[in-house]
Amino acid sequence: MSTRVLPDFEILVPQSKEEALKLLSQYQGDAAILAGGTDLLVQMKGQLKCNCKGENAFGYLLSLAEVPGLDYVEYDETEGLRIGAMATLSQVAAHPVVKENYPGLLESVGVCGTKQTRNMGTVVGNLLNASPCADCGCAILAWGGTLTLEGTAGRREVDVDDFYLGYRLTARKTDELAVELKLPPKSDGTVSAHHKMTRVEHDLSKITVSVRLEMSGTTCKSARIAMASVAPTIVRLKETEKLLAGVEITDQILESVAKSASSEVTPIDDVRSTAEYRRDVAGVMVKRIIQKVCKS
Amino acid sequence: MSELKIVGKSVPKVDAKIKVTGRAMYADDIHMPNALHGKIVRCMQYAHARVIKLDISRAQKMPGVVKILVPEDIEKYNTYNTGVMDLFAPDELNAVWGEIGEEPIFTKHVKHQGDALCGIIAKTEAEAEAAAEMVDVEYEPLPVYLTTEEASHPDAVQFTPEKPGNVAYRVPGGLFPEGFYGYGDIDKGFAESDLIYEEDYYVPKQKHCQMEPHSYIAQFDDQDRLNVWTSSQMPKPVQTKLHKLFGLPMSRIKVNQTVIGGGFGTRLGLIGEPYVCAMALAVPGRAIKLNYTREEDWVASETRHSGRFKLKMGFKKDGTPVVYDGYMSFEKGGYYTHGGVVWVSGILARGAYKFENFRFDGDAIFTNKVPCGAFRGYGNPQQALCMEQLIQRMCTDTGIDTIEWHKKWHREAGGDPWGFGVPTMNCGADEVLDRGVESFGWHEKKEINANQSGPKRRGTGMMLGVHCSAGFPVLLEHTVATVTLNEDATAIINCSISDLGCGNHTAITQIAAEALGFSMDDVFLNWGDSDANAFDIGAHASRTIWTAGRAVKEACEDAMKQVYAKAAKFLKVDPAELVMEDKKIFTKEAPDQIVDLKELLWKGIYAFMSPEDFQFKFDRGQIIGKASFMPFANNPGWYACFVEVEVDTETGELKVLECTYVNDIGQAINPAAVEGQLEGGIQQGLGFSLTEEMYYDENGLILNNSFTDYKMFGPTDMPKCDIQLVTTEEQYGPYGARGVGEAGLCAPGPAVGNAIFDAIGIQFNEAPFTPEKILKAIKGKGLFPDKRA
Repeated sequence: MSTRVLPDFEILVPQSKEEALKLLSQYQGDAAILAGGTDLLVQMKGQLKCNCKGENAFGYLLSLAEVPGLDYVEYDETEGLRIGAMATLSQVAAHPVVKENYPGLLESVGVCGTKQTRNMGTVVGNLLNASPCADCGCAILAWGGTLTLEGTAGRREVDVDDFYLGYRLTARKTDELAVELKLPPKSDGTVSAHHKMTRVEHDLSKITVSVRLEMSGTTCKSARIAMASVAPTIVRLKETEKLLAGVEITDQILESVAKSASSEVTPIDDVRSTAEYRRDVAGVMVKRIIQKVCKS
Repeated sequence: MSELKIVGKSVPKVDAKIKVTGRAMYADDIHMPNALHGKIVRCMQYAHARVIKLDISRAQKMPGVVKILVPEDIEKYNTYNTGVMDLFAPDELNAVWGEIGEEPIFTKHVKHQGDALCGIIAKTEAEAEAAAEMVDVEYEPLPVYLTTEEASHPDAVQFTPEKPGNVAYRVPGGLFPEGFYGYGDIDKGFAESDLIYEEDYYVPKQKHCQMEPHSYIAQFDDQDRLNVWTSSQMPKPVQTKLHKLFGLPMSRIKVNQTVIGGGFGTRLGLIGEPYVCAMALAVPGRAIKLNYTREEDWVASETRHSGRFKLKMGFKKDGTPVVYDGYMSFEKGGYYTHGGVVWVSGILARGAYKFENFRFDGDAIFTNKVPCGAFRGYGNPQQALCMEQLIQRMCTDTGIDTIEWHKKWHREAGGDPWGFGVPTMNCGADEVLDRGVESFGWHEKKEINANQSGPKRRGTGMMLGVHCSAGFPVLLEHTVATVTLNEDATAIINCSISDLGCGNHTAITQIAAEALGFSMDDVFLNWGDSDANAFDIGAHASRTIWTAGRAVKEACEDAMKQVYAKAAKFLKVDPAELVMEDKKIFTKEAPDQIVDLKELLWKGIYAFMSPEDFQFKFDRGQIIGKASFMPFANNPGWYACFVEVEVDTETGELKVLECTYVNDIGQAINPAAVEGQLEGGIQQGLGFSLTEEMYYDENGLILNNSFTDYKMFGPTDMPKCDIQLVTTEEQYGPYGARGVGEAGLCAPGPAVGNAIFDAIGIQFNEAPFTPEKILKAIKGKGLFPDKRA
């Protein structure tokens, strides 16, 4: 049974990143990290599993609210886009370079939650929540990038491709804080887009597709295709991507791409849709989104 | 009728400010000193089980726990049902269809997920919740029946001995001379038909999704009065039902109705009142607050009746409707709740078209789902969704123009549409259809959509319908209103009228102000106070304006009659000659001989003899007008709905592009409120047909019990809505108004179904029409399968 009353918890409010890491190494999986809280608080009231793994899952909340220097969105042409752990979805959407160079990401942020939750929720949090129907997670996976994880033992970078280990499981260790997401810059022929299918406008994804193609004229040099709500994690369709590498985009290619996408996904039945439907439309969605980016 | 000054104007809602500022007092906003908190312990893991052992020993030791109520504690009270048929229909009829009140406050036989087992009373809500977790229950699981077929199997576990075969309700056909509800000869009708259409439909289990979760306070005070604060939409029947349940005299029960955060039927009758009152009676003197979580609302408060509808109709080649034969079988859920929803489906179907022969039968079978109860439309959305689609199939097959068919075969004024001996006085169906066709651009759109290609296909669809303005003649109709004229020539109306958010309090205030000749500011409606308010049924059946509006109007007229009598005596004229303008009373013949209303009322109360002649200037006494109004008519409004949809044939996705809705409501008391009411209905009607359905797993546990998992149409999903109010003559309703509360919901479903049919040539017999079903059908059958073959 869900509750109107939040379960008892102790809130930890570190004043610096170092303090946050120290607390994290002390509490490990018993501390849930609170950034925007838009997923976490719902999980607490619904008594669901949360983004930490400990037995006493909601015993401690480690708030990042007062850790300075995490709420940035920065861009330079070599490194690309750097999104700090506390940068909100609204903040990322408002960044001029995101609008200019990362249209897929922009679209995914725009359909993530509602205006109110986008003002609270963070892009990095969306990745960490590890939902198989994640909105920006899907666009980020299609784009490619690295997540910087920091612990008392040091700092490491994990490719987003290696970040998801299973249903709601990530490569983040319990004493690590995801401090930054890096998305490499676009190249000359880079195009990207995102499309989320829902039951009604404000809804979780029924099925979502994100693509990033490197185009040279009508020829696709390489492709990254990610989908959400079709597997235990957000996934890339690597077999389907191969069909696009180095070929000219024709109707014929798109038909085989669509067929491949439908067979590559492994969806399930749930309250939002059926496995059969998701499989059927996966191909249509991939085909349509490629048509769309090729037109633009 | 003289020119109306306030009625017919879109004045701002009287409660707009308190709601916009957030200062409206919902039940949860009321904080009583030292209040305790209740929590109902519910069975969440089984949909059907017997409780073998209920052990509260661990829970009793939890901090803050004051008392725990178990089934044995409430045995001294009666059982009940949540509905109000026991009050709204005569005992003889209730006996015919077997009205029962089988529901105990706490049960040992769990009949649906969320059934109540016991109740915790603790110092805080958190402590009550924590203790609820510590109640240890052992169950004997029973077979779970999710369909009417499973539940009515001869070997099925019986839900209650009073209802053999688990048949909770059966349409009382035996009451009627033909032995069934209807008329004519059904077999002969089919024999004489050229065209026979039949389909087996499923209509979904829709949840009200009212914004305010159920919340209550109760206190058994030191004068031995049971006070309860509730946002019930039927406060007076709740008072009566609590009287029957707890055996307390009605003089010892006070129902304080709080601001209602949406109702739509979910607050019809009893919901959480029995629990909170039982808790209050267990700790005399202490106030108890009981809040439902949204999930509890989902698992334990009623839904629309879902089920199957076997419908068969016969027509002549020219479309003449020869015979209608329908059997609706509703999934009742775990408890009896309301008797007659299935029958109302038939009553409203019968009222629509001139079938030469008509039979409607149906039942409601217990199942292990959340009980079904009242929901805006009360059986009409379900039947209309099916009937209008089957009529469209006939029209499409034969090439008969659907608009012309509807125009030709709808019922007219007069007659006895429902079979209860009460004729209707008017019918605006033709005007409604004409206005809709024009405003929507029906013929133009048909032309534009005639030759489409590509993956996205547009289609248009329409429906015609009729609802009601009240429960009469099927159910009791009664409202009592009093109007007290204050000494400063302002007025207090006392009437237990519920406003579910649709503007009834505003419209009633407008009616009162109009009838009194006062400004809106001079009139205040005192509602929600069962001591001060006399009987009113509550808000249901689109009846508030029809019945309560007339009651308030007549009470005001009664007050003004007393005013004129006093003034006439003073002016020595015939009261019939008097008029009032700006609170000055005079005759047209002698306009300079004026009685000031304020002086007349003031001196009726502060009545002193004149020191000069020891006389009183006016008759002494305060004026209180009264009406106890029971209508003897029910003139329904006709409505038509036109929609255009776009179907993505590769994904099955559907967009509702436009919706034109036309209703002959007579005179709108407050047109803006009526439009808002209708748009809200359309929103729920679109959800009913396109997205809303409660899903269960095979164990009878609800899969979508939150707004995350259950999706209704939101504001951004709404199509462009064009609401057209057709003003037709209305002889009976107050200032010519008819009821309009439910019609909006009944309309869009079948219109959308018909638009899908127009777009892709496929009809669907199971709502909601989801992209999953649409795509599957297209893949299986292809577009326009009938034409292709």
